[in-house]
Amino acid sequence: MSRDTVYLAATGTALPGDPVDNAALAKLLGASEEWIDLFVGTRTRHFAWDPATGEVLRTLADLCAEAGSRALAAAGLDPADIEFLVLATATPDHLLPTTATEVADRLGMDHLPVYQLQAGCSGAVQALDLGRCLVAGGRRAGLLIGGDVTHRFLAARRSAARMPTEELVNHVLFGDGAGAVVLTAEPDGPGERGVALRGVLNRCAGRRRPPGQFIDWSGISDRDTERRMLAEDYKAIEEHVPAISVEIVWELLGELGWTVDEVDHILPPQLSGRMTARIMEHLPVPSAAEVSCVTETGNTGNALPFLQLDRLLPRLGPGQRALAVTVESSKWIRAGFALERA
Amino acid sequence: MHITSLEGFLSLVRDELGLDTAGVEAADADLADLPGWDSLNLLRMVVLLEEHGRPVPVHRLLQARTLQEIYTFAKE
Repeated sequence: MSRDTVYLAATGTALPGDPVDNAALAKLLGASEEWIDLFVGTRTRHFAWDPATGEVLRTLADLCAEAGSRALAAAGLDPADIEFLVLATATPDHLLPTTATEVADRLGMDHLPVYQLQAGCSGAVQALDLGRCLVAGGRRAGLLIGGDVTHRFLAARRSAARMPTEELVNHVLFGDGAGAVVLTAEPDGPGERGVALRGVLNRCAGRRRPPGQFIDWSGISDRDTERRMLAEDYKAIEEHVPAISVEIVWELLGELGWTVDEVDHILPPQLSGRMTARIMEHLPVPSAAEVSCVTETGNTGNALPFLQLDRLLPRLGPGQRALAVTVESSKWIRAGFALERA
Repeated sequence: MHITSLEGFLSLVRDELGLDTAGVEAADADLADLPGWDSLNLLRMVVLLEEHGRPVPVHRLLQARTLQEIYTFAKE
């Protein structure tokens, strides 16, 4: 059975451990709390590893299973009700088995299609895009999860003074976390005012553009490699992301036939407290309330839009509309989506 | 301890931060004109000064317009 509308039934999140404030992060990096306050504007983040020892305390699968379990419980569904699972991440625990299949196992899901999307900040939107297609194709309910962990790339082993700036910037931006959404073919129940997914924008626009975010990996033959593993072209991101975000808003509005005054809530890109504030100054949605999490969670990559959705859904009143915008600078993917509560 | 003279400080900035401080004019050049100078290199400078026992608060460094002025703050 083909369907036109899919619904967001519930959300769930997982943020490991206690929040790590800027004083603690500065101590970890040997960096400056005052600089992080001023130039990043993110107040706290969570790490699934012990900053003192580097020991991994919780894996990506741990976080994703927790977020997924919470979303299922909030939707009032059992694992057997879920007909597909999509997990988006840039930092899987292993290449195989995929973290997506590990999470399906942990949640007691079997004999269902399980997809893993290798993605960054647009991963949650890619999951929504794939999920809506699967529901439109006849599936009744699916679980979408996004998450990332930083333990392979961030460590207090080196002096911040001697770290290349394009690597150093990652240490002050990112945190660990996971978020999940249950997607359904029907609103929660008879008479329920379901949250409908009205539109999704998911477009790679990186032809002939160098990457804005680069993450490498190594294996048996090159595990001692000296090559660059992590780099962010923060100058290109600062220059281009605000303008691209504005274009995404106009494109979504144009496709939906909505006006700027009809947007009640806006979920802007969550790069850092400072950058998100700068992007918000440019977005043409004067009457929309901002739904952000980055100042408390840090940039959690694939988890971000789901963490924002977790904050949005309780605030989204009957008849209200919301837009979400995200830019994945790795290969300049433009992404966003639109929601409306009946 | 390298931060005992302006020349030593400039060498340190060149060697440790990788910024081009060759030539006497680098000390007096506007930081905005120093190749590679940006907010992240400001952070690296903060850490470098701290590591050499010459901590300077960020808000103070933000008042500096040249490497000479940063050196002066570090000496205070």
